[in-house]
Amino acid sequence: MADEFMKGFGLFSVAALVWMISASWYRTPSFESTRQLVAAPPEEPGTVFDTLGIFLGDLMFWTALLGAFTFWVIIPAGRQAREALVVDE
Amino acid sequence: MSDDNQPDARTDGGTGIVPPDDETPTWSERKSRRAGLPRLTYEYFERARREDQDLREQSTYVERDVLGFPTWPHELIRNLALTSFFVGMLLLLSATLPPHIGNPANPSSTPAIILPDWYLYWSFGLLKLGDLNPAISLLGEQKLMADRTYGVLANVVIVGAIAIVPFLNKGSARRPVEQPFWAAVGMGGVTFAFTISMLSIQNIMPMNVSLLFDLTFLAPLVVGAITYAVLKTMREGYMYDLNRRYYRLRPPK
Repeated sequence: MADEFMKGFGLFSVAALVWMISASWYRTPSFESTRQLVAAPPEEPGTVFDTLGIFLGDLMFWTALLGAFTFWVIIPAGRQAREALVVDE
Repeated sequence: MSDDNQPDARTDGGTGIVPPDDETPTWSERKSRRAGLPRLTYEYFERARREDQDLREQSTYVERDVLGFPTWPHELIRNLALTSFFVGMLLLLSATLPPHIGNPANPSSTPAIILPDWYLYWSFGLLKLGDLNPAISLLGEQKLMADRTYGVLANVVIVGAIAIVPFLNKGSARRPVEQPFWAAVGMGGVTFAFTISMLSIQNIMPMNVSLLFDLTFLAPLVVGAITYAVLKTMREGYMYDLNRRYYRLRPPK
């Protein structure tokens, strides 16, 4: 149980860190704007590296959310369900 | 979580240190831990444990659990780990985040929104309580004091209340469940610090200002009430657990 929490937490924090770095480059028009990290990325990225960076940011965003959700909700719920279904061992 | 699995009750307050017995690792156990850093760490801790055991055997104290922790490795390994983490985080962020050196401030133009630093928002919010300043009908609907004086007095009241709390509650409880009321006061205070901060930036809050003003004072009450109810409910189970542990240590005759 604690391990599952730590796995989810590790995925969440590391992926969120990478997302924040990507979003600070591509989703922050200005550090004085009120839409930092959440603004739309540029329509036409300059280079292939920019495209990769934007893609990586999106990937990490969903990794953070789905990773935490998987380890904190889905897997424990699956275990509970299995324990409830299996009568005796 | 489940105390039933433990055959013997722990009497040392859970320091993780148990009296030494035949648990000294065998040579095969030592050889199995031969990989670099784990082995190094293991040997350091094993040496510390051995020193602790020797001290314990020399000691004339009875049932004394902890004689002291050596600075190396216990304290230093932990401190090195924490230091490495924060230094690494500083390096990573400074290397990867884009620099944001803005334009120099223009001294001849006043910004539209003036705010103090974020950790002073609560105090700034207390200056915006003019709606609470009562108009006295005896004075012909005049206010007793100016709104700005009222705001400053609100700061005095809040700071005074925080300063009084240690005198009202000596803090003998070690966990919130032991004193639900004071835990509720604390949670309400934390919530109020947050909501009053939100009130202070009402200019840029995407929210109806009067609703925000009401929430500023209602949310702490709600949070405090919920905290009190939850802890009060938990307390019975907590006391039961405590008593069970006590009677297992000293069974009734």
